Amino acid sequence: MKELAKSGELAVELAAAFDASPNAYMLLDVDLRIAGANQAYLDLTQQSREALMGRYVMEAFDAGGDTGNARMLRASFESVLRTGKADHIAVIHYAIPLPDAAGGTTYVDRYWSATHSPVTDASGVLKYILQHTTDITELETLRSQVGTREDGPRSALDTIVSGRILQRAESIQQDRRRIEHERNRLLEMFMQAPGFMAVLTGPDHVFEMHNAAYGQILGRSNIIGQSIREALPDLAGQGYFELLDAVFATGEPYEGRRSQVRLKRAPDCEPVTVFLDFIYQPIRGSDGAVVGIFVQGHDVTDVVMADERQKLMIDELNHRVKNTLATVQSIAIQTSRSHADPAGFAEAFQSRLLALSHTHDLLTRRHWAGADLRAILEHETEAHGPHRISLNGPAVDLDPPAALSLGMIFHELATNATKYGALTAGNGRVLIDWRLVDHADPKLSVEWREVGGPRIEPPTHRGFGSRLIERNIRHDLAGELTTDYSPDGFKAEFSIPMSKAGAI
Amino acid sequence: MSEVLSGRRILVVEDESLVAMLLETILEDMGCSTIGPASNIEDGLTAVRDEIVLDAALLDVNVAGQQVFPVARALADRGVPFIFSTGYGAGGLPDEWRERPTIQKPFTESMVREALLAAMGVVRV
Repeated sequence: MKELAKSGELAVELAAAFDASPNAYMLLDVDLRIAGANQAYLDLTQQSREALMGRYVMEAFDAGGDTGNARMLRASFESVLRTGKADHIAVIHYAIPLPDAAGGTTYVDRYWSATHSPVTDASGVLKYILQHTTDITELETLRSQVGTREDGPRSALDTIVSGRILQRAESIQQDRRRIEHERNRLLEMFMQAPGFMAVLTGPDHVFEMHNAAYGQILGRSNIIGQSIREALPDLAGQGYFELLDAVFATGEPYEGRRSQVRLKRAPDCEPVTVFLDFIYQPIRGSDGAVVGIFVQGHDVTDVVMADERQKLMIDELNHRVKNTLATVQSIAIQTSRSHADPAGFAEAFQSRLLALSHTHDLLTRRHWAGADLRAILEHETEAHGPHRISLNGPAVDLDPPAALSLGMIFHELATNATKYGALTAGNGRVLIDWRLVDHADPKLSVEWREVGGPRIEPPTHRGFGSRLIERNIRHDLAGELTTDYSPDGFKAEFSIPMSKAGAI
Repeated sequence: MSEVLSGRRILVVEDESLVAMLLETILEDMGCSTIGPASNIEDGLTAVRDEIVLDAALLDVNVAGQQVFPVARALADRGVPFIFSTGYGAGGLPDEWRERPTIQKPFTESMVREALLAAMGVVRV
């Protein structure tokens, strides 16, 4: 044995022994390519070494297109790769290609029994899979022949040969494969499910497993083996630990709907609030006692948020509609007080409603972000033509409340000018100038000056229009107003702080 | 009924000019004097503090983007009865104020009168 001490020689000796063995052996690398085969294997499969070396085994032996059996063989190889443990196939029906007389290839039905063993290097890393295969076709043939002879007496040997044991081994093997297949499929579904899932074990609710969605929602990994109180300390005081305790103690499932959870997705993060639909389902052991809890559910935060947003929007819409109705009601009642005849009332009421509506239109065009002062003035004065109205001033962006107020103010001023002032007839004109003053505390300064109209007199009473103008400027816009009823023409000056009016 | 309200001084807190003007008109018709109308919380609080005679108040819940409850608190502390007006309905009020008389926009003169009478504890015969 001294000469065998050198490993190189040992390898040579072992290779020779491998080749000389009457048992068929074949070696696969971890990519399932054929890395070696002994003579017995080559004899059994009637292949040359050159034809097999380096080939992907599932291609070299494709079971003649029988995908079910090919899958069974590959599953066995994969089991060795995955677990590092030997895998046995008691019986496999697997056709192999044999050269025929015409020089082609014919698939020949064979039954095999195979063992696939891991071969590791010195550091324990899996390097090869060693297949030891036995052709049991004759045994199978015998079995099927005996199996059809139901009438005659049967010895114990008959029973063995007829394959009862073999049959059972085969069926157990099939069950095992099916169960493993099912288990893998379920596990995959569990891991990939869009909803979150976790399995908690024991009275302390120790994480046995959880899927990707669960880890994602909680912002955690590496919690397997920890109790829920250790893994999720930020959930303390929110009632969930107590619920789990109760489910474990009573065996009654618990269902939570739109349940609010505050959790920290990372140790230094601010807690976030999520809403979850979930169920805590007790898991019972074979004796019926609760051994764990299956947690599953899904994140409904988006749905809850959308519902809240919608509710807020509906409330806000309702508020605005009611306020608008109250505004319209006010216009109706106050207009009715200054108009005894229905026709006059209808005309004045409608024109005020239209003024309001026009400003709404301007605001809607810009998604209620604001409106330009000139656009509002143009709307209120366009009926009189450009030769009678002079608009002069810079672009001023008004916020929606200011736009609505100024829309009504200019409507009332234009109405008064049409009824009593420069726009009654003839060549009267209205000059409207505006500018922004005082840049530290910017104000919009507006001058409305009527020229060339009939002689006017101060009004004997303050009508709705005058009150509306005054209230809007002083109240809504926190501005100042002066009016001048000099005989040669009405004049109004007002200034409003842009902090109140503007979107500049 | 109106004579009960005649001469009363009623504070109005309402930021919408047209609605404020309507309330003024309605109160005037009932023989009341309008204090304000205040168009923001600050002016409302000033009125509650400074007005010597204040018989009741009419408060818009949402005033210039703010809630009117500080004014309601000040009135309650002073023992002045008040009513809320709102576009949201009583459901929009916090529990603390839900028992107070509330009128919903748009409102009529008789709704304002009934609510004021209820707030002031006037029993109808």
